[in-house]
Amino acid sequence: MTYDLIIIGGGPAGMTAGIYASRLGLKTLLITKSFGGQIAKKAVDIENYPGFEKISGLKLAQKMENHLKSLEIETKIDETGRVEKKANGFLVFTKNKKSYLAKAVILASGADPRPLEVPGEKEFLGKGVSYCSVCDGPLFKDKVVAVIGGGNAGFETAIFLIKIAKKIYILESGPEVKAFEANQNIVKQSGKAEIIINAVLKEIEGNKFVNSIIYEDRETGGKKELKVDGVFVEVGYHPATSYVKGLVDFNERDEIVVEFETCQTKTAGLFAAGDLNIGPFKQIITAAGEGAKAALAAYNYLQKKAE
Amino acid sequence: MAKIRIFSTPACPYCVTLKEFLRENNFSFEDIDVSQDKNSLDEMIEKSGQFGVPVVDIDGQIVVGFNREKISKLLNINE
Repeated sequence: MTYDLIIIGGGPAGMTAGIYASRLGLKTLLITKSFGGQIAKKAVDIENYPGFEKISGLKLAQKMENHLKSLEIETKIDETGRVEKKANGFLVFTKNKKSYLAKAVILASGADPRPLEVPGEKEFLGKGVSYCSVCDGPLFKDKVVAVIGGGNAGFETAIFLIKIAKKIYILESGPEVKAFEANQNIVKQSGKAEIIINAVLKEIEGNKFVNSIIYEDRETGGKKELKVDGVFVEVGYHPATSYVKGLVDFNERDEIVVEFETCQTKTAGLFAAGDLNIGPFKQIITAAGEGAKAALAAYNYLQKKAE
Repeated sequence: MAKIRIFSTPACPYCVTLKEFLRENNFSFEDIDVSQDKNSLDEMIEKSGQFGVPVVDIDGQIVVGFNREKISKLLNINE
């Protein structure tokens, strides 16, 4: 069987594309490893999505998912391994060893947390090291934790952890933290957080679980140890695009090059919407907007092809 | 019917996905919120050696994370 459209990813871009595609009458399959993408894991409430003055990420994600699933669309929980170009469309291979054929594809798999790549990070993943503060944060009641990264994501994570942990260190590798002033103020006023600048994490140590981290002070070059039970990594995201190599062009950040109006990649019929493309503003509303554009452009592409 | 216990926290997307997956395949389960229950949290950490959610206990077999392949195998879910 051939689908009109396969959408890869179930974040705001993929779900919006799915809503549009279904309403346009396209026979659509949406493949995703989970629904909601990054918004479902957001540590603080969302306050800039029109229609919702304040809503938790998980709630907004569930509302989108319910909207999507109220429509005529097929969804599969699976992860995409590879996309191949065929004469009459695209073949999508999944990690669950399935393959699906479609005339057009929208890539909307977003971005994954960027790892630190320091010794101990992999070994202690799930044993104190976490990339999802809203998931694992509640397990660190009255413990000492470190947040790696002094950007907004790092401070949002710290704000979430204030209510749970006993003490929070925020490590920023640069000479100043880059989070919004408002976020910094909440963290400083809590009296629970210590912000350490010029701190480059070198190693995560422990036995069964994490018990300390070693960082280098960039000013003095000296190494320091902090006793912590948990390490939350918030050093940004890396686009999840490795499975389409060869079919698209990338910029220096591995983001997919697309045409502005249609979100089409260099391959006709292959579109990319949301955080995995070159768009500089990684917002929920922009991802959703691009999902809509990509679905409409895919519809036009299919109409033209049928002529 | 297998006895399934899920150790989770309220806002964890993979916990939600896991529960959805089980419901879609008509399995019922006990849902334990470890952020509210210290004894269950200690039990989860001891059984799984893991400081992260979700953890699933299927008839005494522990699966860490939403490991779909392993869970499907233990529950004979064919897709």
